[in-house]
Amino acid sequence: MKTLYVFLIFVAVAIVQLFVPAQMIFNRETVLKEGTVYKFKTRPVDPNDPFRGKYINLQYDINTLKTDDTLWQRKEEGYVYLIKDADGFAEATSISREKPDLNEDYVIAEISWYNKNTKEVGINLPFNRYYMEESKADAAEEAYRDAQRDSLPDNTYALVHIKNGRAVLADVLIDNISIKDHVKNDRN
Amino acid sequence: MISQDVADSIQSYYKSKNEGKPNRLFLIFGVLGSALVGLGIILILAHNWDDFSRTTKTIWAFLPLVIGQLFTGFSILRNKSKTWKEASGVFLFFSVGASMTLISQIYNIPGNLSSFLLTWILLCAPLIYLLKSRAVAILHVVFATYYVFEYGYSVGSHTPWYYLLCLALIAPFYIQLLRQQERSNITSIFNWLIPLSITISLGAFVRPGDGDYGFFMYIILFGIFYNLGKMPYFQDQKLRRNGYLIIGSLGTMITLLITTFKWFWEEMAKSAVADTQTIMISSTLFIIALAILVYSYSKKWVKGFNLFQFVFIIFSLLFVIGMVDVTLSTILTNVFVLALGLTTMKIGVDQFHFGILNYGLLIVTALVVCRFFDTNITFVIRGLLFVIVGAGFFLTNYIMLKKQKSKISNK
Repeated sequence: MKTLYVFLIFVAVAIVQLFVPAQMIFNRETVLKEGTVYKFKTRPVDPNDPFRGKYINLQYDINTLKTDDTLWQRKEEGYVYLIKDADGFAEATSISREKPDLNEDYVIAEISWYNKNTKEVGINLPFNRYYMEESKADAAEEAYRDAQRDSLPDNTYALVHIKNGRAVLADVLIDNISIKDHVKNDRN
Repeated sequence: MISQDVADSIQSYYKSKNEGKPNRLFLIFGVLGSALVGLGIILILAHNWDDFSRTTKTIWAFLPLVIGQLFTGFSILRNKSKTWKEASGVFLFFSVGASMTLISQIYNIPGNLSSFLLTWILLCAPLIYLLKSRAVAILHVVFATYYVFEYGYSVGSHTPWYYLLCLALIAPFYIQLLRQQERSNITSIFNWLIPLSITISLGAFVRPGDGDYGFFMYIILFGIFYNLGKMPYFQDQKLRRNGYLIIGSLGTMITLLITTFKWFWEEMAKSAVADTQTIMISSTLFIIALAILVYSYSKKWVKGFNLFQFVFIIFSLLFVIGMVDVTLSTILTNVFVLALGLTTMKIGVDQFHFGILNYGLLIVTALVVCRFFDTNITFVIRGLLFVIVGAGFFLTNYIMLKKQKSKISNK
């Protein structure tokens, strides 16, 4: 009898263990399907995570904002309002402590610094990791550097789906080619 | 020579002894094997297979998890052996990590390592109790400490309050071990692991800027460990099993030696008033330490006077003095450490214990060495001091050896 109870509790635990990853997937899938797609100009560098492997760290062009709020502190979180320009590139309009209306897109970003004199805050956008096959991460950084040297401007950007403040980074593109394929092409 | 009954019982005794052995070996290999396989899967997934589609990757995210759950469920339902439960539990632990790992990769989830670790730990904590698994319990403590390291000691450090939750989750398991399996190896592993984990983690609870108060908190923490280690429960065990006593004693000495430097007190005098959090944690620790000491006295466990058990109280007083007079507190701390060294030596002599005697000598030596860095004594006197301390080592050991010999020959 006792065994059965233990087993039943275990089943409950097992369901939770399945549910948590499933929920992680479900949330992201919804955003990928229904979210608005933005392009963010970016710059990749490649670090490492002991469990999740190699990724490229993305440093976005959007990293500072003007604000009248003087109380911002490091490590705080704020709502960054977004609009799209004609080419689909994202522009951050303002940062606020309040959640925007439903029809406005926003992401939650972490404050990295606040400068009283210039009335500016530094922000870290929450989608700064792009996981890559371990052999490709270094090559991706090189590919980016090569692309910088060519004539085309704004050639590296991240494709981010955004819905209700939740953002999923779908791809990173250099000259409109996915960085993964870019690395492949370079090798051939 | 011996009756058939006795012969039979001897035989059955050796049989039972031999039966126990391969089982234990099998248990260890089972746990190690599943830990390695689990970790291996995580590493293979960390390659980030580009060529697989999102669906394939998603299936792979759940496959090890489901396999782990099936094995674990099976071993619970059939009430399989310990080996089964431990091995399947460890495998499931790592497959939960593997699953979250892969999903993070598929959707480029940025979430820092600390929140990833915390979710992982909490999802697996029930396994400790459902499987009565010691291996998962060890993993729990080790990963909780890893979480503190990632969350509390990184840039812009936060206080890792969830560590307390992790400790609370393991507490009933540990208490049960202490009660039921006092002398088993697994209990002594935990008697080392728990104080070690807490020692590593406490620093993360010190607010940045309150660094000097950190020393104070550590002294009190080591006071708790030392007084716990002095309880008959731990004291009566072999010294190598008594992690509390050793960590408490060594920790106290090292921290105290740092505070014998004048710069420590000067820094302290300069620093601002402590954060509320620091004060709250310090006073909680102090109350716990005091409660243990009072309890030990009320149970008449404390025989004779041992200065080490009072270090946390005396240091608290020194700390208060330090806020007013830097020089006085520096001198008093030095005298205090010297007194500790001498009492330790006396205990060693009284108990005829060479280890304790030399530990006391080592404390005095360390104090002398430390003083060479911040005082302007001439080289001649420094040299003489070294010679005196060195000679002290020889003399005390020699005298004790002689005494011991004469004691043995008298018998």
